[in-house]
Amino acid sequence: MLRDSVTNLTVAEHSQYSIHEDPAAAQLKGALLKDIHRSVYVYRVDCGGCNGCEIEIFAALTPLFDVERFGIKVVSSPRHADVLVYTGSMTRSMRVPALRAYHAAPDPKICVAYGACGCSGGIFHDLYCVWGGADKFIPIDVYIPGCPPTPAATIYGFAIGLGILGQKLKATHHVQGEDEHAALIHPQTPYLLRVQIERESRRMAGYLYGEQIADKFLTITEENPNQVNENVQAYLDKQADPRLAEIMNRLTTVYDGYKGAA
Amino acid sequence: MLKLLREVLKTGEATLPYPFEPIEVMPGFRGKPNHNPDQCIACGACAIACPPNALTMTTDLDQGLQTWNLFMGRCIYCGRCEEVCPTGAITLSPDFELSVMNKQDLYEQADYKLATCHRCGKYFAPVKEIEYAKSILQQSDLPETLKTNACTLLDFCPECKRKNDVAKMVNLYQEKNDVTR
Repeated sequence: MLRDSVTNLTVAEHSQYSIHEDPAAAQLKGALLKDIHRSVYVYRVDCGGCNGCEIEIFAALTPLFDVERFGIKVVSSPRHADVLVYTGSMTRSMRVPALRAYHAAPDPKICVAYGACGCSGGIFHDLYCVWGGADKFIPIDVYIPGCPPTPAATIYGFAIGLGILGQKLKATHHVQGEDEHAALIHPQTPYLLRVQIERESRRMAGYLYGEQIADKFLTITEENPNQVNENVQAYLDKQADPRLAEIMNRLTTVYDGYKGAA
Repeated sequence: MLKLLREVLKTGEATLPYPFEPIEVMPGFRGKPNHNPDQCIACGACAIACPPNALTMTTDLDQGLQTWNLFMGRCIYCGRCEEVCPTGAITLSPDFELSVMNKQDLYEQADYKLATCHRCGKYFAPVKEIEYAKSILQQSDLPETLKTNACTLLDFCPECKRKNDVAKMVNLYQEKNDVTR
């Protein structure tokens, strides 16, 4: 009956069917969070995730992180659960099981949106078969972002949910100031030289590390433009990394080539 | 029994004291993308690179505002924004404690002013982006005349630039015809 009625709904109608928390249950939950003296049982609801989040949840149960020392225990039925952890981007076919798990868990219950997918649909947010996050129709109390959240982030999220720790992240809104200018990167180096160095470095070491190596190289050249070779060699001797040495030596050739032409 | 106890004592406690003590984060860990709003030029490179559209740019042509938005709940911490940022305004910090009770706290915003075209007066590009392009031009070893020409062109919107080019071409054509006649 439930299955028939929800599968034939449009998106707009679905959002009307989203659950609004009972005020009495919310009050109970407030009281529970204020004065919690017992362990909490967690039920995982995997709503179409890639299982990266599940692996991290289980990593949080290992002796290294050991969430059971806080009394957090994973149970196999929503009927036993105090906390429902929704992972995955909430696919269309997992909507009904997600709702059934929600209704099966006794009040008061804490719902957690886990991972980037659970919070908002993550990288799958605009797929045709995805609702985009558990909060689309389930009242969520804690959002744990991450792709996947590390075990430490998981513990932090639960600590926030259970009122042990305070939340660190705050919404920010910056407005451009009157006298706001972006500073140039390596203003002493000619622009074309910087582009050549960055391009060569990124070609050899990849985008991110290439930029970091080019940045280091240009910093060395700007310190003393007359002693580039010696300073680069000194730096390379300190690092003792043959890969870095090959890239930096190539950059020195490019640098000398540019200086020779100019 | 004694053997086991000895083994247990030798191994010690494996469990980390987190969250009561800070946890050691490995170098190269990709956590929350830190945005330095002063260094950002609102060019939108990060929004184009962002695979899950956690970073988006919105343009308000009525008020002349370009808004940079980050929705942390969608970020997959891939670091593409850090890679493509031309000014180094975004860096991935080792901060992983991002859980929130209120979804609104996952949003980060920054407003930037748009510049108006010197010819038609329409909004067309962020002020800071144009300033940055000009300072790069000044830093380059191009001849001074080319620099000043390019700097004046930077204040025109793409459409006016096109019109300017067409006008120049027409002039050239007429001059050529005058010479041949």
